[in-house]
Amino acid sequence: MTTTPPQDRFLALLDEHRKILYKVANAYCRNAEDRRDLVQEIVVQLWRSLPRFDERARFSTWMYRIAMNVAISFYRSESRRTQRTELVEEPILETLAVDRAAPEESSDDIRQLHRFIGELDELNRALVILYLDGNSHETIGEILGISASNVGTRVGRIKERLRKDFDRVANR
Amino acid sequence: MELDDLKVKWAQYDAKLEKSIRLNTRLLRESRLTRVDAALRPLSRWIVLETLLNVPAVLLLGSFLGDHIGEPRFAVPAALLLACAIAILNAGIRQWVALRALDYGAPILVVQKRLAALRVSRIRTTKWVLLLSPLLWAPLLIVGIQGLVGVDPYAFLDAKWLAANVLFGLVVLVVMLWISRRYLDRGKQSPGLQRLLDSIAGRSLASATGHLDEIARFEQEL
Repeated sequence: MTTTPPQDRFLALLDEHRKILYKVANAYCRNAEDRRDLVQEIVVQLWRSLPRFDERARFSTWMYRIAMNVAISFYRSESRRTQRTELVEEPILETLAVDRAAPEESSDDIRQLHRFIGELDELNRALVILYLDGNSHETIGEILGISASNVGTRVGRIKERLRKDFDRVANR
Repeated sequence: MELDDLKVKWAQYDAKLEKSIRLNTRLLRESRLTRVDAALRPLSRWIVLETLLNVPAVLLLGSFLGDHIGEPRFAVPAALLLACAIAILNAGIRQWVALRALDYGAPILVVQKRLAALRVSRIRTTKWVLLLSPLLWAPLLIVGIQGLVGVDPYAFLDAKWLAANVLFGLVVLVVMLWISRRYLDRGKQSPGLQRLLDSIAGRSLASATGHLDEIARFEQEL
């Protein structure tokens, strides 16, 4: 019986969940260069953390945690530009020219959605991405480290804020 | 528009991403994964370097103190320096252990809390080192001359000279605080200098503790 090498298995899982990388990077970085750096940092951290991954857990849950933890740290880091070394010149995630998906090249709705996400603080931003991705309150709570009821209340508040936001724009 | 309407838009965005992004597996296969630096690695290396440099300092100062324990004129400055070196070493070891134990796969709030606490600890260490250095250079000179050259510094350094140096250290300290506050928001200096100024003035600390408070608020049931 042959076993798949860890790197191959990791890459297959990463490929399966590549959208998480993209969504998180887009939510936390405004410009393309930062997004590319962030994707790289997330992938490296995923690879380095792989030995600690509990096989019984869902890969996507674990991946969200790492991606968002790296993204929040990246977003908050004051010195990342001076610390960067050994940058990979090619992008790890390639956007196919036929159907671009970056926020600046998306439809108005998606742009509006990204603008709304961008206005939230780092933690609420993580919560909204997880909610929009269809995760249950329990899963969101598990990823963030808060109770499901706290998730429910926070989602309610964000909904309220969004409603007011849209009303304000509509009344202009 | 409601958040649930956005969920529909998000699902459309998701479907679009499925077709439009591709993982560059070739690039990742070329063992780039092990070669590329992650954000925290430089910090980890820096902490290890600091700690390694502090170990001989603690050993040398401990040995000097042991040799001159009956002579307060040497024992007091050596004890001061040793206390500082031990405090820095202790902080470095704690930070390194905290960094090593950090599991990015843990819940976001747990990781962010640990990172923020680590940052607070780093900033406090930097701030104290910067603030105490003008005051510690007179004891360092005494211990250095006696310990390294074997010459009694008190033979040519009198009490007035020492008092003047301590006073000078205090003046430097006040000036450092003034400069860091005066030029804090100018934003024209290099990122390194800005970090130093932020550390002395307490701005970095305020930002790091602010992040800790933010996490605590997020954790609380509403």
